[in-house]
Amino acid sequence: MKLVTAVIKPHQLDAVKEALHALGVTGMTVGEVQGYGRQKGHTEVYRGAEYTVEFLPKIRLEVLVDEIDAAKVVDAIVAAARTGKIGDGKVWVTPVDEVVRVRTGERGIDAI
Amino acid sequence: MRVAEGLAKTEGGRLSAGPLATASFGVGDVARAQRSAALDGWLGELFATAVEPGDAGASEGPAAAPDQSRPSTVVGCGFGCGLALIAVGGLGRRECAPSGDVDLLLVYEGEARGAGRGEPRPVAESVAAVAERIWYPIWDSGLTLDHSVRSYPEVLAVTAEDTKAALGLLDARHIAGDAQLTAKLRQATLLQWRQRARAHLPVLRDLATRRWRAQGELAFLLDGDIKEARGGLRDVRVLRGVAFAQVADSWRPPVRAAYTRLLDVRDCLHIVAGRRRDRLFAQDLDEVAALLGLPGPDALRRRVADDARAIAYAVDDSLRAADRWLAAQRRGGRQRGRVVRTTVAPDVVAQDGEVVLARAAVTPDVDPTLSLRVAAAAALNGLRISPGTLEWLALRCPPLPRPWPPAARTAFAQLLGTGPALVSTWEACDRYGLVTTWLPEWARIRSAPQHNPVHRFTVDRHLIETVAVAARYAREVARPDLLFLGALLHDIGKGLPGDHAAAGVEVAASLTAAMGISTSDAEVIGRLVRQHLLLPEVATRRDLDDPQTIRHVAEAVRDEETLDLLHALCRADAVATGPGAWSAWKERLVADLVARTRSALRTGTPTAAATGDRPVDRFAPVLAAGALPAVEIYPDRVTVAARDRLGLLASVAGCLTLHRLDVVSADTATLDVVSADTATLDVASDDTATLDVASDDTATLDVASDDNATIDGDGGPVAVVACRVQPRDAAGPDRRRLAHDLHRAVTGELSVDEALAARARSTVRLGGTGREAAPPRVVWAVDQATDATILELRAADDVGLLYRVAHALEEAGANVRAARISTLGPDVVDAFYLVGDWSDRSARDRVEKAVLAAATPATA
Repeated sequence: MKLVTAVIKPHQLDAVKEALHALGVTGMTVGEVQGYGRQKGHTEVYRGAEYTVEFLPKIRLEVLVDEIDAAKVVDAIVAAARTGKIGDGKVWVTPVDEVVRVRTGERGIDAI
Repeated sequence: MRVAEGLAKTEGGRLSAGPLATASFGVGDVARAQRSAALDGWLGELFATAVEPGDAGASEGPAAAPDQSRPSTVVGCGFGCGLALIAVGGLGRRECAPSGDVDLLLVYEGEARGAGRGEPRPVAESVAAVAERIWYPIWDSGLTLDHSVRSYPEVLAVTAEDTKAALGLLDARHIAGDAQLTAKLRQATLLQWRQRARAHLPVLRDLATRRWRAQGELAFLLDGDIKEARGGLRDVRVLRGVAFAQVADSWRPPVRAAYTRLLDVRDCLHIVAGRRRDRLFAQDLDEVAALLGLPGPDALRRRVADDARAIAYAVDDSLRAADRWLAAQRRGGRQRGRVVRTTVAPDVVAQDGEVVLARAAVTPDVDPTLSLRVAAAAALNGLRISPGTLEWLALRCPPLPRPWPPAARTAFAQLLGTGPALVSTWEACDRYGLVTTWLPEWARIRSAPQHNPVHRFTVDRHLIETVAVAARYAREVARPDLLFLGALLHDIGKGLPGDHAAAGVEVAASLTAAMGISTSDAEVIGRLVRQHLLLPEVATRRDLDDPQTIRHVAEAVRDEETLDLLHALCRADAVATGPGAWSAWKERLVADLVARTRSALRTGTPTAAATGDRPVDRFAPVLAAGALPAVEIYPDRVTVAARDRLGLLASVAGCLTLHRLDVVSADTATLDVVSADTATLDVASDDTATLDVASDDTATLDVASDDNATIDGDGGPVAVVACRVQPRDAAGPDRRRLAHDLHRAVTGELSVDEALAARARSTVRLGGTGREAAPPRVVWAVDQATDATILELRAADDVGLLYRVAHALEEAGANVRAARISTLGPDVVDAFYLVGDWSDRSARDRVEKAVLAAATPATA
């Protein structure tokens, strides 16, 4: 089992959701976060400001998937979230040892 | 897009900065210039591609006449405005580091002409499009980019208010586009810097001071930041800022040379690390030294320390000049009335907050004691020596004759006794080479590195800091002059073969002879140098209750005057070493040792601890109150009583480690319980205690067991292990859990061995100093304790070390009466008092082998 985590631009969330639904991914966790990358939080390529680093609002999205689906899910998120502009974000995959559905007690793949 | 020579494309078309970061460009000014040239070429191409004529489109409106004064490339892009790509920062100065970042400013002015039917295209849109086409390839290449886009007026508006931005623009260099615009901008920002110096210079000082506070001093740090620490690369920006303001010019050849050498170290660090890193860790020293062609890490450390000090001193000089200039500016540039000169010493006057030579002193025939008298006067009055005076003295003042004349000794004693003011005065004199005219041997230890991470300072600076701190204790000794000299010379033997204290005695003898110090005083100073570690080492590693310990110290010290001097020196030395070298606990132990030694010197008998003061005595009455094991827990001590068995000390020590308590000392005793009703306790020493069970006098006790049975007198001897502890966490251990675990440990229910192994596996090891630990070593002392032989283990500290060693000793059949644990940074010195006859060499070898095996890390 894998956890796919993505940090994306807020306005790309709907596109990512649609892409994941199309793949059959039925659940996800979404949170509002803030961060910056190489562009150091500059909202505009045009301006930029020396010596200031700003946090920008982002969306953090997490999806639990079966290992064999992880690559497809990553590709779907990347394709849907990409604008080609700086600040598009990142996606990464981490292993998961155990998953339990709270209501039913199902474990492992059955809980995804 | 062509790529500049020296850069390469990776798979996938990303531009790789890899070749830029390789040693193919090498180290040094030429390599930096080559890197800069490669980047210049590439950025120029990016700019040319970004500024495309077709992008602007044709305007249907009347065309403005092309500005013939502007380069055609700018006009050709469709802009009627000037547009220039400017480098600042390291690229601006042509000092590109292998993994440095790129600081760029895209500046424009005028109107843009562009697409749209007769409508001028807004400048912002046009420039933004160009900026995108420049910045994205740079980001995609993996280079770190600091960028900004400004109109010409906007740049000046920012630099008028933002000191950092203004300082950065002083390094501006044209890369591509409208060169005239760049030149105009440079001129305007420089003029503005000078005009706004009154506002910028105080901010510059404040920024520097805050940075130094956060980063420390490069000259003295074990892992200093070459760029940000005081004396580092960024301080040179301060020098240049003050110089550009035409206030002072401390940017002199020796400072430039120091800066260049630090740049080389920085570049080597980037090459070694393979990325941008400016902090010089111990693990990098060998490689960086090799890249620089230096003999080894010590040479590298010494060079960095020396260069950092040169830069730091130049910055101090520069900022003081700035302060004077600002004060004059506030007076409206008027002189402050008549110049006032105040005599502070013969031939020495104070003027404008500085010490200068009196006119009468400036003669062809210079008194060789003059430099010392100037230094003493400056330190005594809390004034700095003017740079002009220092330069004059360095050129003209002859070396002191040997032996020194009385005036020189007097001035030197005055200088050493000035406390904190000594440090800056000594530093200033050393910068100009005056100290080595007084003490030629000082050159050997200047900027000499320390090898123990508890030290904050280089060897020379540590000696001066010790003298400065020693001034606090001047009233506690009969001869403060000997204290100061002892403090100055106590580590003079460092760097020489063998034990530095012993080596220092010879050097001290030579120096005191040169100073003309009397034989008796020189002998005391020699003893201070030889014995300066005696008190702290004995206090923390030996049983102070053992009369033999006190006798040993008394014999070494010989008299109370020397005892007082050593006591003061030991405290000054520890404070000057660093926060890890001294504690309230250590201070109490040393004070206790001094008191007992004083008693021994006066009466011939060391003061013994009163019966009932020892942990094993205090605990004895409590034994009868409950069942075994019995545990007593206080914040700084833990005592356990249990049926005597092999491995008891180890189990207790191991359990304490599991609860993050460091054992600093341990005493053990075996008690023979005779009956359950009244217990006559025969303690392992000659002391005996008669116990009345019926008494209600009991100490605070955590009895781990719920049973309240009285002690079974037939169960055999009872062992008491009393430990002094220091918690690693501020909160301290959970006492209930600790008592529970101690109970389980001594009864064998808890496998201390397994628990410690699991703890060691899960312990996150930080980077550490990178220093390779020397193998452990055992030293035997057969005549320093009463009825015991001392086994002293010197090893690298490790989780569970005390447990393993105590276990090894007990398994080898050694009966441990006491242990003294001394931790200094990453190393420990553990002294174990072994009862019995250890005269047999083979028995000692067997135990030594077991102890060394236990002390050797598992990964070795």
